[in-house]
Amino acid sequence: MSARTITAATANATIASIRARSLALTRRPAHWTRCATLFTCRSPLEPPTGKLYEGHIPISPLQRSILAVGSAFTALANPLRGDMVAALGETTGGMFLARIRDQMLLDPEGRRILRERPKITSESMQLDALRQLPDGTFGREYVRFLDDQQVSPDTREPVHFVDSEELAYVMQRYRETHDFYHTLTGLPVTVDGEIALKWFEMLQTGLPMTMLSSFFGPLRLTSEERSRLHEYYIPWALEYGSSSKLLMNVRWEEWMDRPVEEVQRELGVQPCPQV
Amino acid sequence: MTAGTLSHLAAAVRTKASTASAARAAFRASSPFISAQRATSTVRFSSSSQSGSAGNDASNSLNGTPEQYDVVIVGGGIAGSALACALASGRASGTQKIALIEAFDLSGHMQWSPKPDQYSNRVSSLTPRSVLFLKQIGVWSELDLSRVAPCEGMQVWDGVSGARITFDGADAKKDSTRSSFLRQVFSGASSTPASSAEFFDDQQQQPDFSKEQESSPLAYMTENLHVQYGLQKQILAHKARGIQLDIFERTKVQDISSNTSSGQESDASVDISDWPVIQLDNGRKLQTRLLVGADGVNSPVRTFAKIESLGWDYSQFGLVATLQIDPSTSTAPDQGKGIAWQRFLPTGPIAMLPLNNGFASLVWSTTPKIAQDLKKLPAKEFCALVNAAFNASPAELEYLCKNIGPDGQPLVDFQSEIEWRASVQDAEKGGINRGREDYKAPKVVDVQENTRAPFPLRMRNSNSYVEDRVVLVGDAAHTVHPLAGQGLNQGLADVECLARVIEQGLLSGSDIGNIHSLTPYSSERFFPNLAMLGTVDKLSKLYNTDFGPVVWARSLGLTAVDNMGPIKTEIMRFAMGLEEPTSSRRV
Repeated sequence: MSARTITAATANATIASIRARSLALTRRPAHWTRCATLFTCRSPLEPPTGKLYEGHIPISPLQRSILAVGSAFTALANPLRGDMVAALGETTGGMFLARIRDQMLLDPEGRRILRERPKITSESMQLDALRQLPDGTFGREYVRFLDDQQVSPDTREPVHFVDSEELAYVMQRYRETHDFYHTLTGLPVTVDGEIALKWFEMLQTGLPMTMLSSFFGPLRLTSEERSRLHEYYIPWALEYGSSSKLLMNVRWEEWMDRPVEEVQRELGVQPCPQV
Repeated sequence: MTAGTLSHLAAAVRTKASTASAARAAFRASSPFISAQRATSTVRFSSSSQSGSAGNDASNSLNGTPEQYDVVIVGGGIAGSALACALASGRASGTQKIALIEAFDLSGHMQWSPKPDQYSNRVSSLTPRSVLFLKQIGVWSELDLSRVAPCEGMQVWDGVSGARITFDGADAKKDSTRSSFLRQVFSGASSTPASSAEFFDDQQQQPDFSKEQESSPLAYMTENLHVQYGLQKQILAHKARGIQLDIFERTKVQDISSNTSSGQESDASVDISDWPVIQLDNGRKLQTRLLVGADGVNSPVRTFAKIESLGWDYSQFGLVATLQIDPSTSTAPDQGKGIAWQRFLPTGPIAMLPLNNGFASLVWSTTPKIAQDLKKLPAKEFCALVNAAFNASPAELEYLCKNIGPDGQPLVDFQSEIEWRASVQDAEKGGINRGREDYKAPKVVDVQENTRAPFPLRMRNSNSYVEDRVVLVGDAAHTVHPLAGQGLNQGLADVECLARVIEQGLLSGSDIGNIHSLTPYSSERFFPNLAMLGTVDKLSKLYNTDFGPVVWARSLGLTAVDNMGPIKTEIMRFAMGLEEPTSSRRV
């Protein structure tokens, strides 16, 4: 277990470990110094890794903690700050991302995704070709959603703070496939719609960021929106988030020409009740 | 425990010695049968005055009058045979009339002629304490030391988090004279009986224990068959010098009863009415002063004595196999020679124990289904999977195990899947500035044919080890999860203690079958065995999960212990059997 997840390391232990390090340079470490280094395998002030992939920003455990807290408050104050939501997800993802990776490793489709590492961009998705698909197919509805929202798959924030190449890809894939979830569930891009989707994702992935959004996001809603969330969206998310197939294991790119209803049936997701 | 309980004993219990040990049968089947030894026991010239057994003969026994013995040992496994050896080598106990009953072949062990490139799949680690005992009873010198592999180090790590603890035999010899906290906690013996050494005849064979400490491997790995061979050889040597030691091999116990009203012509001074009577399937009947149950986990003797055994079956099977390894692939110093490797996976621990000549013994505890699948898997895929079990992530391993077909055929290309994951893992490792690179276990290149065998894992402890005229040793008394390699060592410690208690009883003129003379055995062994069982059981449960907080806590604990030298030394000495009374008082 790496020290960076042990956020509970006390200041005392930290100081002791730094002292232990300076002592260790001069003589063979005594038992007590070795014990002290237990709590922080390395100093909280130095990044644990070098640069691992394009866009990677190695940060120290201390910076990570500050960034996590800071991004959490900023994202709460302004949910439209996608970069802050992204930073929150990355700084708190750690072992939860590893768990998602393990679930992907257990599934043939998930393994194929990890092996081939497909990226979702407007180029790889061939949006123009998708526009030619008949109405009601997954691809057509997906492009319709993108056009309605005036977004593109290329506007996703790249991953910066995940200290593993493979887990960074998992994070990236999770982020890139988010728009497919909207198409699949029929949830609108409104604050309560997004919160409903976060509940759904929380049950799917267990990521702490989805949990924080699920619990603290509703604080900003009006009472009308909140009652709608509690009456319709959350019960729906609880039911289908846990019973559907793990959506991280879905190769969406290959489902584009199938009718939305068929995709929903196969993945075990009913569309969210429209209110 | 006298007259009152006799009525309980009276109810005869039907027993089948075939339950003695199915697993033992598996490896004995390969030994050739010889029948020459079969009935060596028919005529005994005299019986000692202490034994009180009237001179009777085979005809007596066949027409219903039981032959009388002082000690009858049911079960000729390692514990039973070792007890026969230990009793035969005692000054007083050597004068007793002893019988050893075994359902399978014993003399076949004498034909044990191993090839240097073949190892049996049943291998045990003998702790220094067990080795000391085997030396005392003259068995160790019979062994072929080129087939005994000293284990000098141990690498144990958590498959989920990677937290690791390393043991080095050299550390354990420090502070060897110090009585420790762990010793006080775990060794239940309150009394400090005199050294067992003085009870054995072969004084010149007494090893110097302090000298023993200098090389101090943690344990010695050897095949169970090898130990059996040494024991058998020593038993024959005892017989040759006139010890009244009768072997009934390929003989099953049909029935054990307490013969209340036999009314036979025994001498008036000795009341043998409460001695148990053992009915053998060859028609003979034995009546004994003391009945020893060394008959394995489903002990018929225990059933006869109405001793309850508590515990549970783990939902795990152990899979053993003999592996061929490529030592040059290990990153440990000296090519990992003499290092035992153990990794805790969420399905159970996997261990590779060092043997000589580039061989190793595998013990893989896992789910029953996976154990059965592993047995059927082709050798190439099996080796790939064992290598993955020591290196790959638990999720990867789960995926591969899921992809074994019903006939053992691999459903995916194991080699390419494993290589892909290994390349990803290596890429990850490259970026992390790790202070210490963990040693890697050697690569498995082949598995010896027909050595893969699964067996169920259980934990049992008898409520009591002694009853009037009945005593239990080894697996009959207690069964433990193999993760610490302690089962056989516990059994040998039992035997050492029981032989000492019987010797003392004889010297003080008491009836060795009487429960009061046996109580010291029970009180010395019961608590240490229970402590070991409990410790191993908790370890097994602690590591049988990948639940985040538990993994975090156990990894912190393991790293802490790994960094706290003195505590680690205590644990090592406990596992080596150096903490318990026999050895510590010898120093």
